[in-house]
Amino acid sequence: MHQLLTLGSTHQTASGHPCTIEAFLGGGGQGEIYRVRVEDRPLALKWYFPEQATVAQRRALDTLIHKGPPGPGFLWPLELQDSAAADFGYLMPLREARFRGIVDLMKRRIDPSFRVLALTGLQLAQAFLALHTQGFCYRDISFGNVFFDPDNGDIAVCDNDNVAVDGGGASGILGTPRFIAPEIVRGEAAPGIQTDLFSLAVLLFYLFHIHHPLEGRREAAIRCFDLPAMTRLYGTEPLFIFDPADDGNRPVPGLHDNALAHWPIYPEFLRNRFTQAFTAGLRDPAERVRESIWSGALARLADSIYYCGHCGAENFYDAGGPAATAPGICWSCRTALTLPYRLRLSLPGTGAHQVVMLNHDTRLYPHHLDPSRRYDFGEPIAAVERHPSDPGRWGLKNLGSANWVMTRSDGQLRDVEPGRSAGLTPGVRLALGRVEAEIAG
Amino acid sequence: MAKRPGGELATRPLHFIWIADCSGSMAADGKIQALNTAIREALPHMRAVADENPNAEVLVRALSFGNGAHWHCSQPTPVADFKWTDLLADGLTDMGRALRLAAEQMHMPPMTDRALPPVLVLISDGQPTDDFASGLAQLMQEAWGKKAVRIAVAIGRDADTEVLQRFIGHPELKPLLANDPESLVRHIKWVSTAVLKSASAPASQAGGLPAGQNVPIPTPPVVPTDPQAADDVW
Repeated sequence: MHQLLTLGSTHQTASGHPCTIEAFLGGGGQGEIYRVRVEDRPLALKWYFPEQATVAQRRALDTLIHKGPPGPGFLWPLELQDSAAADFGYLMPLREARFRGIVDLMKRRIDPSFRVLALTGLQLAQAFLALHTQGFCYRDISFGNVFFDPDNGDIAVCDNDNVAVDGGGASGILGTPRFIAPEIVRGEAAPGIQTDLFSLAVLLFYLFHIHHPLEGRREAAIRCFDLPAMTRLYGTEPLFIFDPADDGNRPVPGLHDNALAHWPIYPEFLRNRFTQAFTAGLRDPAERVRESIWSGALARLADSIYYCGHCGAENFYDAGGPAATAPGICWSCRTALTLPYRLRLSLPGTGAHQVVMLNHDTRLYPHHLDPSRRYDFGEPIAAVERHPSDPGRWGLKNLGSANWVMTRSDGQLRDVEPGRSAGLTPGVRLALGRVEAEIAG
Repeated sequence: MAKRPGGELATRPLHFIWIADCSGSMAADGKIQALNTAIREALPHMRAVADENPNAEVLVRALSFGNGAHWHCSQPTPVADFKWTDLLADGLTDMGRALRLAAEQMHMPPMTDRALPPVLVLISDGQPTDDFASGLAQLMQEAWGKKAVRIAVAIGRDADTEVLQRFIGHPELKPLLANDPESLVRHIKWVSTAVLKSASAPASQAGGLPAGQNVPIPTPPVVPTDPQAADDVW
């Protein structure tokens, strides 16, 4: 039931191109979205309801269009579009069909792997870092505005017309219930970058637990879940369900099973980040987990995945955590896990290490081997592969363009040319460009 | 085999009940047909809103009143499966009896002890012919009746807005006046979408809520009024 634009009609874009309205895609509180064609290019057009087509909105869009998208993953406004009347809209890229909503994840209509979720979370953190670096805040990070590809973790951030310059004054947008930072719920603060960080942490917790981080015993005790109850739970009396210092809001079996099922299977480094976000970060916006810290933790999470030899489920290796020496049992089939070989990478100049599980399908990317290209998961430059004639042997294949140098355990050196593989043997060291690596068994 | 543990996001039920006047006067001027059309028109939008909020399990029922009152759709039905069967108009306006039936369903049990605020939508074109006050009193004796978001739609000029206002119970909220089929469609759609959304995920209110109100009610749609045409339809 669209009402603003006529299908089949043609308008002029601000740059003078004809824009034909092809289909109605959906409506919301601010306006309606149409699929349009500008010359040969399919695009989306958001058209505001007259009462929403304000001078302030138009000015905000002008700023956004002038600045351009802060990075990949944003369906950013491209161009304003006017009508003969005072109302207007803006063109943006169409969301591709491969992107699915977070609601689909919550309702289990899609079943992405943990690896995809880690890459999705990583890209979200990177996208919002890019946005915040430009001085913008998003103000409404929530289920409805973020989409992802359940096959590879690519993201599409929508509804960017709510983006504003941080500290730019009140706008009326407070965000979406359950995602709003406690200080906004209490009426003490306006949305901004610091409150975006809270909403991002909530979204990440939802991604990894299919549950809200503050909904435990206190939520269970609420009968009528109305606004006063929500204000207490998310604003005046918030308490993390896994707060190590206060067990007063633990998940209740039967009501909060997703939280109980997910939390213990993650490595300690990820749980620590959530604990920080929802204990110190709940009370003090300056203590919130920064986007780059999330990126680091989620990239590490992807590298820590290994498969159960019995059922194939993804499990996590807790390098440095209590489970590092004893792999424990699979969360899915409850049989004992066996650790695969690991690659221990030493990052030059930092003294830091990272551990990558060497699974049958592990790939190494510039992210792992080129410190100047952190979080680049584009073309792989190394891959675990089976020996072509001896299926019992596995190696790490050089997919790059430069030789690696392998140091065997007896001290002998060998070159590993592009296209060739270094056998996976514990104790073998590899010089992979600027990164030193050692295979651990 | 599932790739990850657990199940769907935990939900709370949100009971949404249409309470529709099917008195004989609703047969005049196509009013009952307009109401049937308005609800059918609103349903897909209602489903879309429900789908956007994975925290709520929206369950819909319908109650009609005329000579007495009865459940038009008695089972709390997930909105995705809810199908509207046309109401037929005949008889008196036993609104009090309808509120008593609603009150029975707001009692625990059958209500569960944990839920989102129910939404009760009373639609009427006339004056109650039975004991409205005791029906309302029975509803308001129930904890869930008191917590419910109560919305009223007045169809046409003869609707008893004073009675509808007592049902709403908050002086800030007025009955929605539907003097033509178009405004009825708009009001029913607004109730099915904006009010439903607010009951399932109420937006924080910078200034707090008016006394006694537990769910912020969004601003109803502005229905253009043409004084010349207002009386022409019904």
